[in-house]
Amino acid sequence: MEFLLNEDQLALAETVRDYLAGTHGPDVLRRLDAGDNRDPAIWQGLVDMGLTGLLVPEEFGGLGLGLVDAALIARECGRACVAEPLVDTAFVAVPWLLSQGATAQMAGIVAGTAKPSVAHTVNPWVSDGDGATLDSIDPLRNLTRYVDAPSSDPLLADLGALMAAAQLVGLAEAMLDQSAAYAKIRTQFGQPIGAFQAVKHQLATAAVAIEFAKPVLWRAAQALADGLSSAPVHISHAKIAASDAAIQMAETAIQIHGAMGYTYEVDLHFWMKRSWALAGAWGSRAFHLKRIDAAVIGGGLAIGPDQTFA
Amino acid sequence: MDLAYTNEQRAFRAEVRAWMDTHVPKEPLVTLECREGFDQHVVWERTLASGNWGMVTWPEAYGGRGLDLIQWLIFEEEYFRAGGPNRANQNGIFLLSPTIMEFGTPEQKARFLTPMAKGETMWAQAWSEPGAGSDMAAIGSKAVRDGDHYVISGQKTWSSRAAFADWGFGIFRTEEGSKRHKGLSFILFDLNSPGITRRPIRQLHGDTGFAELFFDEVRVPVENRIAGEGEGWKVAMATAGFERGLMLRSPGRFQATAKRLVELYRQHEAEAAPSAREAVMTAWMQAQAYAYNTYAVAAKIMAGGSIGAEASLNKIFWSELDRAMHRTAMQLLGAAAELRRFDDGRMNQWLEGYIFSLSGPIYAGSNEIQRNITAERLLDLPRAGAG
Repeated sequence: MEFLLNEDQLALAETVRDYLAGTHGPDVLRRLDAGDNRDPAIWQGLVDMGLTGLLVPEEFGGLGLGLVDAALIARECGRACVAEPLVDTAFVAVPWLLSQGATAQMAGIVAGTAKPSVAHTVNPWVSDGDGATLDSIDPLRNLTRYVDAPSSDPLLADLGALMAAAQLVGLAEAMLDQSAAYAKIRTQFGQPIGAFQAVKHQLATAAVAIEFAKPVLWRAAQALADGLSSAPVHISHAKIAASDAAIQMAETAIQIHGAMGYTYEVDLHFWMKRSWALAGAWGSRAFHLKRIDAAVIGGGLAIGPDQTFA
Repeated sequence: MDLAYTNEQRAFRAEVRAWMDTHVPKEPLVTLECREGFDQHVVWERTLASGNWGMVTWPEAYGGRGLDLIQWLIFEEEYFRAGGPNRANQNGIFLLSPTIMEFGTPEQKARFLTPMAKGETMWAQAWSEPGAGSDMAAIGSKAVRDGDHYVISGQKTWSSRAAFADWGFGIFRTEEGSKRHKGLSFILFDLNSPGITRRPIRQLHGDTGFAELFFDEVRVPVENRIAGEGEGWKVAMATAGFERGLMLRSPGRFQATAKRLVELYRQHEAEAAPSAREAVMTAWMQAQAYAYNTYAVAAKIMAGGSIGAEASLNKIFWSELDRAMHRTAMQLLGAAAELRRFDDGRMNQWLEGYIFSLSGPIYAGSNEIQRNITAERLLDLPRAGAG
């Protein structure tokens, strides 16, 4: 029993975080938004880091890492508000295709030339698909109708929900940082607004929600990696905790930014809109709450102090 | 990350479970906040000590088992699974003992820790004063040096367990004319010393869990001071960190409450409000989240890390969770919520628990203070008045 991300995992996540911080700042989001939303150079950078092959077994040219590693990178994609389809392709489609024994596309995925995105019945739209474009509030999402029949395999919904939760945690952390930074530089009544308790306490409350979503996320990722029969319950828990934390953080963030937060000029809106999109994607709150309901109230899962890791 | 218990850990759980199943009182004890209940809880402390289960993480030299933090968590899970009573000596166990372990001399460790492990001495805390609550640095009670004694004068209040405990600890101003955080010392005192008057304070529920303490030239030996003269603030802050940190509120307590809440919901499902159903699910989810976080903090500490201002996030989370769970239970009970005893004679533990949960966001540093700490130390926001 050791509830600890190991040094290799943290080092990889930090490398990706630093890379994205250096190459994928708000200025890049603005440039993409003013242009056509995608940039082959950004995608190539992710491919060159090996991230498209993160979950692809070594025999197919990938890194052969696990779902906890992928969740850590998905969190960084959320933090940097990455719109390229890395998470959907490499962390959702890849493990699901592998579970189906479909290995034909793996070499192309690792090389970055194949970007499959797969849809589930809970979530019949995909980003960067081949179907008709849908008009998402998220300006960089490239949401499309799915042209094939969506799958109803629960594993696919679980992978999608887990990775959405990971991105939501990263999005929330970024909005917390942006809001704290703004509260330090914006002055009113002769002092930074961050010195006022009314501002501090809102940010602290959001920080609590984020802090306690994180271990739920890691537990869910590990449960799925370990193949626990209870993994779907823990993934639903993670999706709810991460969505609630991100939405609460987004509402707090716009409040702290004041009227500036209501403009298209301030960076915040990219993160806020991605949060709205992902909170409803891969299973609504109702979908996940019903799974918790069946487990906890319906008695599908053993609960109590001695059942922490059931 | 490895979320499976080892065979050794499973065997340890089985050992704790077997002992608890045999020894935990079948009927709930009378509340710790009255004489009769306190005495019952002291008997329980001695029962625990007889099985060497009183202070499981302490070194064996002081009467503990030298267990690691994962074993401690397993112990606590089984303790609350079995419905183990509240710990009468929690101030001593969770606040004072880590302080003595860190700052005490070998003589002080032997003198104070060993009897605590045996369940012989019950401890009260004495932090707050009438004019020093959240602003603890405003402390005015004095300890004036007179040879090898201090002579203490002043007043403490909201002193948990002081109505019935044997000993107390707190900080006192040892330097004449010193201000704020300076000139304070951390001193232990026998509550039966001449010159101490205890005035029990009747709490919200009508019982007397805490007390005011009046010190009228109370002589306390200098060897009862922990750490150096004038170092009291540093020692007290470390103690306050223990209080908010890992050990005071182990997750098993809240997981047990969440489980009981699920059972209560099932009994009242037919007439329950739709919102209660989600509140019950939230209770389970948050109790689990708190447990995962505690396992993560334990792993971090075992790997050589420490817990800092994150302890404030913990304290906010568990105290507000506890209040929300009991509020939901009160709603589910409906008209019966107000009954101290149900028709069948059972104590209404939800009511008692709800009342107690209202103190959670206040004690151990109010949640407003915790939110300030979070904002200033974790988010690096400026202190009030800066600019």
